Amino acid sequence: MNSRSMALLGMVLLAGCSGVQSPLVPSGDQAGALHNLFWLMVVVCGGIYLLVIAGLAWGLMRVRRQSATTSDHTASDKRLDKGVWVAAAVIVAGLTVLIVGSFLADRALFATRGQSAMMVRVTGYQWWWRIEYRDPAGNRWIETANELHLPAGRTTRVQLGSADVIHSFWVPNVAGKLDLIPGRRNQLDLTPRREGWFRGQCAEFCGTQHAHMAFDVKVESPATFDAWLAGQGRNATTPAASERGQGVFAQNCAACHGIRGTLAYGRAGPDLTHIASRRSIAAGTLPMSRGGLQGWIAQPQALKPGTAMPTIPLSAADANAVAQYLAGLK
Amino acid sequence: MARVATVLLFVACLCGCSNEARYVGPTMPQTPPAGDGDPRIASYQSNLYQVSQGGRYFAWYGCSGCHADDVAGVRNLPDSLWRHGGGFAQVYGSIADRHGALSFGKRIPVEQLWQLTAYVRDLPHHTPEKRRRLEVDQKAEAVGPAWTGPQ
Repeated sequence: MNSRSMALLGMVLLAGCSGVQSPLVPSGDQAGALHNLFWLMVVVCGGIYLLVIAGLAWGLMRVRRQSATTSDHTASDKRLDKGVWVAAAVIVAGLTVLIVGSFLADRALFATRGQSAMMVRVTGYQWWWRIEYRDPAGNRWIETANELHLPAGRTTRVQLGSADVIHSFWVPNVAGKLDLIPGRRNQLDLTPRREGWFRGQCAEFCGTQHAHMAFDVKVESPATFDAWLAGQGRNATTPAASERGQGVFAQNCAACHGIRGTLAYGRAGPDLTHIASRRSIAAGTLPMSRGGLQGWIAQPQALKPGTAMPTIPLSAADANAVAQYLAGLK
Repeated sequence: MARVATVLLFVACLCGCSNEARYVGPTMPQTPPAGDGDPRIASYQSNLYQVSQGGRYFAWYGCSGCHADDVAGVRNLPDSLWRHGGGFAQVYGSIADRHGALSFGKRIPVEQLWQLTAYVRDLPHHTPEKRRRLEVDQKAEAVGPAWTGPQ
């Protein structure tokens, strides 16, 4: 392998170090417990591996030495008998350490179960995420999609359901993965500690666009989070310049997409009330931008083949108006 | 014997290859069907994927609100009685142009109308129980205010 391909391989490997989607950079209590368990397993299993290799090498050298001196291999060997018992004891001790470690990690994952926590419902669809927050003031649910905000230092209880097939909710920096199973409600507690942007990903193959079923996770200070949630709870405001876009949307898009505060009530697709405040489009397929929105409206099947969003033939002026309208929904 | 069984299994698998074939891109129809002899009809009416897409839009666009399974009269779709004819082009026309102010012909893209037509014409071929199952599948899990999980 020449030096250029080595450098390329090194760069590819380093690309995994950015840390926005990595269980090796834990940023929450649950991920921390799993991270500790991971290193415990690496150390114990690595130690056992080294012992086995050392024993093998020792045995080979011993046979070679014995062959030189004696031709009798059948006589019982007291030292070897003792060695088998020592090896068995080491194996039992190693397994006991792993079992205790796994038990303690499990306890840490469920430590917050008895406490009250903020409720968030996450429903998996092919291929996007519906996310609903319990409004702390009233008794309603504030809906958004494909972007999860979490307050640092507080526990959030995520309830997981699926609308079609089995998906899996995985934000490796914050917690382990848990499946979203049709007909079941799974619960996962998240207690993030470090603020920043992270990436979540569906971790159970769920169809052609499984890879484009991601979501952004933002861990922020509780005050920032409360302000964000209050903003998401407000109805959309339509600037006067976007009236045409709103009209085209009501005519062509509102059967499937809802925008609170307008006559768009559709629930088949993601809620778009504050779409422009999100970081990406179509579950991590494109970064959020005016051009991205317009491209997505024009050719969703080209950008994400198989997506449930059909191509809606709009005139260029209408598509432009809709994209402008959506880009204003902060 | 095992080899024969393997070959038979392989052939049996191949039989299902084309009935869900789907196309992505510019092959979709841009115009309504030109009469019941339109050559494009077969690729919708006898393609399970296209029919099931029609079922999806049937629920999403709110068709099932009025065209429920137990409704009597002209709104009952599975009874095989078509007021304006049961041919593909006729049913297409009924969906697109005969819904008054709903004017689906203007609001629903052409390809979705093709898929809806295929689905509607497929309904009489199934038992009520099968249609009920299809509807449950389309509805999926209750979300939002209709949520039925732990509170």
